[in-house]
Amino acid sequence: MGTRWQGTRLVAAVAVALALGAGSAAAQSPQGVTVQTFQFKPTPIEAAAGSKVTFTNQDDITHTVTSGTPESRDGRFSHQLVGKGATATVELTQRGVYPYFCERHRSMRGEIHVK
Amino acid sequence: MTHTFGKLVGAALMAAVLTLSAGPYFDPAQAQSGHAMTAMATSSTKAAGLRSGLNMLFQEHIYLAAAATGAALGGRETEFKAAAGALDANSIAISKAIGNVYGQGAEDAFLPLWRKHIGMVVDYTVGVAGNDKAKQDKAVADLIGYTQDFGAFLQSANPNLPKSVVADLVKHHVVTLKAVIDAQASKDQAKTFATLRTAAGHMQMIADPLAEAIVKQFPDKFGG
Repeated sequence: MGTRWQGTRLVAAVAVALALGAGSAAAQSPQGVTVQTFQFKPTPIEAAAGSKVTFTNQDDITHTVTSGTPESRDGRFSHQLVGKGATATVELTQRGVYPYFCERHRSMRGEIHVK
Repeated sequence: MTHTFGKLVGAALMAAVLTLSAGPYFDPAQAQSGHAMTAMATSSTKAAGLRSGLNMLFQEHIYLAAAATGAALGGRETEFKAAAGALDANSIAISKAIGNVYGQGAEDAFLPLWRKHIGMVVDYTVGVAGNDKAKQDKAVADLIGYTQDFGAFLQSANPNLPKSVVADLVKHHVVTLKAVIDAQASKDQAKTFATLRTAAGHMQMIADPLAEAIVKQFPDKFGG
């Protein structure tokens, strides 16, 4: 009986540890935005300050990920995604709202909320 | 003439900006096209309804575009504004047809992409009206470049539509519509209407493969 009880406690402890570990990994893993059918998906997204966001182009055409808006660029980042499968990663160090757009297709817009 | 046309184009741009900033709205022309798309779903077969609906919208695009460019080249301001408005209503109806298949996000992405090529056609027409060869050449180059974007959009939405094939079909659309504008500018009425029929007829080469690819992609929704 004592052995069974200890075994149950051990299993519970392992389960809790796994759950905490999984949660921690999820919080630290880089977020992803897919560019598909001339849309940034998902948007808006939330990210922690200091985290990275990776953009992956699924369209067979060049897009860009440029911070700001077509009317007001802020110069924080600008990357070309040349063709299908191209990726770009941005690191977001400061809290705030980061709008971005595609320079070639200016109606394509997205937003990252850094907390 | 050039001055008048410049004013017309200015008015068109203003109308386009107002349309873009106004957001979704109800208008009779749009509702009429919406009715057509609703009717598609109740056709004897959904696939046939989809094909005929897309053919109707794409051919309407040609006739309204030609009405707008003809009026602009002729300096008929009131007619041009009305034609440009109807052409934009057609653009909205086409984007709604895309949205009906691929969702609101695709509809929202498609509309500015589609309007973009209309702006390039306007640029070409301005170049023709002003006898500005450099402006004409730039507009044609932009339109040819645009065919790649359009092909990429449809390929991304539907893997049954290869980018290069779609781009070639849209390139032919550009060439046939350019022939209409050139004929209008030369005031050769017989040639204008002959090229217009060719341009409108070509749109079946876009509408039919698009409908077929959609049915293949969503057999449960459009098959049978």
